Amino acid sequence: MVDYRLKLAKRMLFNKKGSLIGAVLAVTIGILVLHVNFVIFQGLYDAFIRDLTEYSYGDILVTDESNLIEKSDTILINWFSRIPDVQAAAPRFSSNGEINITKSGGMIETNRVPLLGVDPIQDIQASTAHKTVAEGSYVFSQNSIVLGSSIVRDLGGVRVGDSIEVGVVNRWGQDEVRRFIVSGIAATPGGQGLDYSAVVHIDTLRDMLDRKGYTSSIMVKLHDPTKAESVRDLFLASFPNDDFVAETIEESAEQQLAGFRSGIAMINMIGYFGMMSSAFAIVTIQMMLVNGKTKEIGIMRSIGARRKDILVIFIMQGILIGFIGAAAGTGAGLAYTFYAKETKLTFNNSIPLEVTFNWPQITQTALTAFGLAVLASLYPSFRATRLLPVEAMRYV
Amino acid sequence: MSKVLDIRGLTKIYGKEKANQVTALSNVSFSINQGEFALVVGSSGSGKSTLLNMIGLLDKPTHGTIYVDGTDTSKLNDGQISSFRNKKVGFVFQFSNLLSDLTVLENVMLPIQMAGTSKSREKAAELLGAVGLRDQMKQRADRISGGQAQRAAIARGLANQPALVLADEPTGNLDSVTSKSVVKLMKSMCSTLGQTFVVVTHDQEDFGDVDRIIQMKDGKAYETMVRGVRA
Repeated sequence: MVDYRLKLAKRMLFNKKGSLIGAVLAVTIGILVLHVNFVIFQGLYDAFIRDLTEYSYGDILVTDESNLIEKSDTILINWFSRIPDVQAAAPRFSSNGEINITKSGGMIETNRVPLLGVDPIQDIQASTAHKTVAEGSYVFSQNSIVLGSSIVRDLGGVRVGDSIEVGVVNRWGQDEVRRFIVSGIAATPGGQGLDYSAVVHIDTLRDMLDRKGYTSSIMVKLHDPTKAESVRDLFLASFPNDDFVAETIEESAEQQLAGFRSGIAMINMIGYFGMMSSAFAIVTIQMMLVNGKTKEIGIMRSIGARRKDILVIFIMQGILIGFIGAAAGTGAGLAYTFYAKETKLTFNNSIPLEVTFNWPQITQTALTAFGLAVLASLYPSFRATRLLPVEAMRYV
Repeated sequence: MSKVLDIRGLTKIYGKEKANQVTALSNVSFSINQGEFALVVGSSGSGKSTLLNMIGLLDKPTHGTIYVDGTDTSKLNDGQISSFRNKKVGFVFQFSNLLSDLTVLENVMLPIQMAGTSKSREKAAELLGAVGLRDQMKQRADRISGGQAQRAAIARGLANQPALVLADEPTGNLDSVTSKSVVKLMKSMCSTLGQTFVVVTHDQEDFGDVDRIIQMKDGKAYETMVRGVRA
């Protein structure tokens, strides 16, 4: 049998539909704001990590304190290939150069273009950078080059098959120029891929810089990214006499991500402030409910209800508001998250958000909203108990 | 006959500063025996409702003591007063004061549930049958007529078989025909169940012969009549 206090709490609340809807909406909107914030800002953060991992850093990035790795990349790649948690590893070589193209008798030139040397066979196993080639194909030979869409624009609209010149300054300070055929054009939403780079064969770039056998970094992809720290530690322990720097994505991209994390924390704080505003809205609505039920409180007191019973009735209303609001808000938030995930929602029509159902966060949000609603009901409930029956009966 | 209600030197003064004090009740003393039907009569402002609030433990007297069913109510704390009110005192108000969020049956069940007594539904249904509202039990309290609501209020007042039922102008808001039926019902409950009633009213005539009449004037109980004979 349902406790009479719960029955009264339900009836009194549900018969005041306006107040009920107002209070529930306050909780629902508070939760929904946090869910939307999470989908957008955490999704954006995760999307940056995803893209940085996929295109630039891998799950672990191995570099050297002296900027260039002198040890043979074959030795390092072979070492990683023996670790079960490693899916693939690939060497990369980075530099800067100039690119020019002659069109209609005139030469168009761009300076300080980031050049990326890749091993076409190993790179497509460790990175999805090759999938960003929107037109043409990835680097496949010593003289093929993939240009980022931004460079293509700077060069006045290069097409696949065009011939271009790339110039670098080698380790001896001499200019080295090679001619390449554009094999592909890379473009990614949000420009996190190779949009601002030119990709060539790693051996060609080494040769141009006269850095045979050197590597800038080893990009390591894992089956399970959560194992990054253990693989990193194992790697560093295996090469104690080298000056390798091995970092997880969070470490290697720390500079890019630190500001982002602060931004997310601030946005979440604003969201929680919003939730606290919802709590104040509940206090106001419940105070109205208590004032509207002064007569009923007097009647209940006159027929024997104790102060404690009145307190319980109005706290139960807070529990009901919190429960319904938390359920509705979480439901709406999940629906929005599902929609964002299914439609591959993009941020500002560019980078596709990395949408995940973060159950601990979802649970925490729902419980916080529920707790705040119950907390918000304490003061009005207490006020209800302070009504003297004889005063309350004057409203009769 | 045992005394159900014994009031001794009851005084109620409103206001803290002497200049602004109003004496609503002044040294009121009387008693009512088990099974009596008593009327408290008097003009507006004579202190009838204040007296009823004191007897019903809704308000505290400035001086004096009220014994209900042998208990000195001045010694009860807040929680005990609520429990005492629930078990020993039944209320019938001018405007029935049923809780509109509940059905008629649930309204009558409420004091029984508050007392923690089992079979509240059966007991409430039985009482509603006794006041002729068996057909209206499942109606919401705000969807029945004034006379029916007052009958339901009487049933609620009797729910825990209290020592005393206090009625404040129970016919004040009813037409003459309905008033008569409500008075008849209360009197029959008094005679058949031996239930003690204390009724505050303007319309003494509506109630015909009663066991006791307490005349209130300017906060004083001037005369107490027992079966028409001055006590």
